Amino acid sequence: MKRRMFGRLVALVGFAATIAAAPASAQMPAWEKALYEAAKKEKEFTVYTAHYNTEEAARLCSAFETKYPGVKCNFVRTTAQVAYQRFQQDLKADKPVASLFSSTDVGHYVDLKKRGILMPYKPNNLGKMVDSLRPYNDEDGNYHVTAAALMLITYNTSLVSEKDAPKNWPDLLDPKWKKKVSIGHPAFSGYVGTWVVLMRKLYGWDYFEKLEKNEPQIGRSVNDTVTMLNSKERWVAAGPEATTLLSRDKGNPLAVIYPTDGALLMVSPSGIPKNAPSPNAAKLYLEFLLDKEAAETQVKSHSLSVIKGIAPAPGAKPLEQIKVVRPTEDELVKGIPEVKEKFRDTFGI
Amino acid sequence: MTKLALGDRLRHLDKSSWVWLLAIAILLFLVVNPFYRLLLVSFEHGETGAFTFANYLTAYGRSRYIDALLNSLTLGVLSALLCVVFGVPMAWALSRTDMPAKGLIWVSILGTFIIPPYLGAVGWILLAGPNAGWLNRVIVELFGVEAGPFNIYSMTGLVIVVACYSFPYVFVFTKSALDLVSSEMEDAASVLGASNLRTTLSITLPLALPAILGAFILVFLEAIALFGSPALLALPGRFHVVTTQLWQFFEHPPRVGVASAYAMPLLLITVMLYWLQRRITHRKGYVALTGKGGERRPIPLGKWKWVVLGYCLAVCTLSFFMPMTVILQAALSKAWGRGFSLDNFTLQNLYFTIFENNLTQTATLNTFLYAGSASVIAIALALCISYVVNRNLVGPRIGSVLSFLTMAPFVIPGIVLAIGFYAAYTRPPLVLYGTGWILIFAFATRFLPIAFTNSNAAIRSINPELEDAVRTLGGTRFTAIRSVVAPLLKRSLAGAFILVFIPATRELSAAIFLYSINTQVLSVLLFDKSDEGNFEMLASIGLVLVLITVALILIGFRLMGRDFMLRRSSS
Repeated sequence: MKRRMFGRLVALVGFAATIAAAPASAQMPAWEKALYEAAKKEKEFTVYTAHYNTEEAARLCSAFETKYPGVKCNFVRTTAQVAYQRFQQDLKADKPVASLFSSTDVGHYVDLKKRGILMPYKPNNLGKMVDSLRPYNDEDGNYHVTAAALMLITYNTSLVSEKDAPKNWPDLLDPKWKKKVSIGHPAFSGYVGTWVVLMRKLYGWDYFEKLEKNEPQIGRSVNDTVTMLNSKERWVAAGPEATTLLSRDKGNPLAVIYPTDGALLMVSPSGIPKNAPSPNAAKLYLEFLLDKEAAETQVKSHSLSVIKGIAPAPGAKPLEQIKVVRPTEDELVKGIPEVKEKFRDTFGI
Repeated sequence: MTKLALGDRLRHLDKSSWVWLLAIAILLFLVVNPFYRLLLVSFEHGETGAFTFANYLTAYGRSRYIDALLNSLTLGVLSALLCVVFGVPMAWALSRTDMPAKGLIWVSILGTFIIPPYLGAVGWILLAGPNAGWLNRVIVELFGVEAGPFNIYSMTGLVIVVACYSFPYVFVFTKSALDLVSSEMEDAASVLGASNLRTTLSITLPLALPAILGAFILVFLEAIALFGSPALLALPGRFHVVTTQLWQFFEHPPRVGVASAYAMPLLLITVMLYWLQRRITHRKGYVALTGKGGERRPIPLGKWKWVVLGYCLAVCTLSFFMPMTVILQAALSKAWGRGFSLDNFTLQNLYFTIFENNLTQTATLNTFLYAGSASVIAIALALCISYVVNRNLVGPRIGSVLSFLTMAPFVIPGIVLAIGFYAAYTRPPLVLYGTGWILIFAFATRFLPIAFTNSNAAIRSINPELEDAVRTLGGTRFTAIRSVVAPLLKRSLAGAFILVFIPATRELSAAIFLYSINTQVLSVLLFDKSDEGNFEMLASIGLVLVLITVALILIGFRLMGRDFMLRRSSS
């Protein structure tokens, strides 16, 4: 009698578990199920990422763990150059840690691809990607865009009215902003490096000769501009959309302007190294980054969605309505080292 | 020949000698091997590994790079001088006089020392930023001038900030030396008719000179090895120092060889300073702690005590009260840009930092675990070596080499030290990369010079006669150390522990290259936050770091049977 009850109980529990698990695995196509099973055997994986801030990286990891129980997601969040440095260190020491490498500097991927370090993989979710971002994927499948964001003009609303705020990039050169502009440094920040290449492309190096006369405050990271505006040390900046709006959400007096000559589109790829300790989990995470849950998480943090059909966060403009510009990959790979040197000549640091 | 002499000497050492040999072996592992790799790399071609001078040509081939070197020297000398101006009078006031409110001053200095320099620098940006700094705004309001006079983004600003967060070294070193000077020596001067001032200047302070010099060198080296504060202040001020320049050599593609070559002059400077210190202090005898009694009475200052207290408070206001107010405001704000107001107040940041953020919890645990282990290793090693050197157990020449090797790590910027460690311990036979040990050893190495300077001063002040007495009576060297040297050193050791433990909790530049996902520390988290523009979180993590460190240190002193002013329970 007792045994029978126990048997029923087991059956019941088993049934309940099946029901609970059913929706997730039932919706999974065969490729996803196979990847998930293989990833579960690997138990955990680590991603080196410069794409987001710590909170957003943590949110993405936990969203992944909710969707795929049994696969633990670890992340190391740092700046692009440090992430690359660590990745190289692991490689040289032959102690691979990262199963996915996510930098904001396209040059890293061009270099890694040339050295044959990345594992080509064609994501099944590639079809969901926003069309305008697809040209930035590697045609041989070594790396794919998994994050996108904007760099634009930002300002402190308690010091500058919307009417007086700069409308386009050359407006920052107006003498009325003398000692009131904040920018980052191309040698520290992938965002700023890309921005300097873009400004040189649009307006020539003359842009920076003039900017120098306005004595801008030069920080390291592009996010330093947010700090400078918040402290009221500077009034206007060439800054990041996501961090600025996140800080505004907390109640800081900040706002963004989409420049009429184009906001800078930052696309950041991810790639799986050939020596990845958990290659299947990495593939599964790459697929996850190109899917709905990840996109919704990113949109909440004011990053752009890399896949179609995701509504932007309240108060943000949808990508279709924003004029965006971006230098080509060749221009960036060649241009960033050049402008770093020129920037130092012009600004002395 | 030296080998023979050494072999001879080793035969005649007593049984305790294996301890010294072990200490030397550890020194080889912690200092010599990483440095050897560094030197090797500086002559290696980046890709082929062939021998080359090209790294040196690149490192010194541009006037911009040379300027950075000169800037670092200026920064080092000026901030070390300012540290002496800040630290020595305070040490004297707390150690030798009847100034009131000593506890408050001591805790403020302790607090100052615990604030990571980059956190202090952020505080100072808010205080003395040229446009929005509070100090500047107050002056504009009060006097109706167009712009405030302070600009933190300048060499002057950097010197002040660096001095604010380094002067506690000078303070602690000087104070522990002054604590040992007996009033009898001062009395001798007073009897001969010297005033209090004259006695202090001609008797008391000269007796503390070796400690002050040691601290001066330490602070100089610390100032030129800092990365966080220059990155925050010098770059916007449009100048480079060695460490920010080094950072550029690590840009993609990293030029480790050039960076190593560029770090070499720092090593030369260390050699020179070290030689200078020996020249100055070796001409005179400084054995002050004789074990023959000696009473220490505070000097009555009369009404001057308020002037002295005012000076101490002024320094603490610069280094502690003002920056901490700003940081507290940010940690307790919803949005720190909105300034002080009640509807802006929140405990959410602190709550999140302490209870919700797993990363902070792990990192907090790691930080204190690694800092504690590193301090124990560094102090044990430093004591062994300074004992060996001071008691001539290995001969003067090897002694000099040993003390030089022990001092050398401090001048190597953390980034470069980390690269040396990385180069040495990521390949068999010893693979430490990815474990907590590589951080512990790097921290221990980085702060070995502090432990050494401190234990060296302590041991030098103990008259060998005390141990000779034990040995004459048939005791071994160990007995002498255990029952005579150790009890006398206890107080200096407590000081040494603080001096290594605290910098290890806030160490950034080495950690950032050696940490891994399971070995995160708070300084790295803080640095990431400064980079993310998330200042409310940065301030709350900083606040948590400061509070826990203060608590740990106070508990530590209770357990050691001393109060937080390092007063002995029996005297």
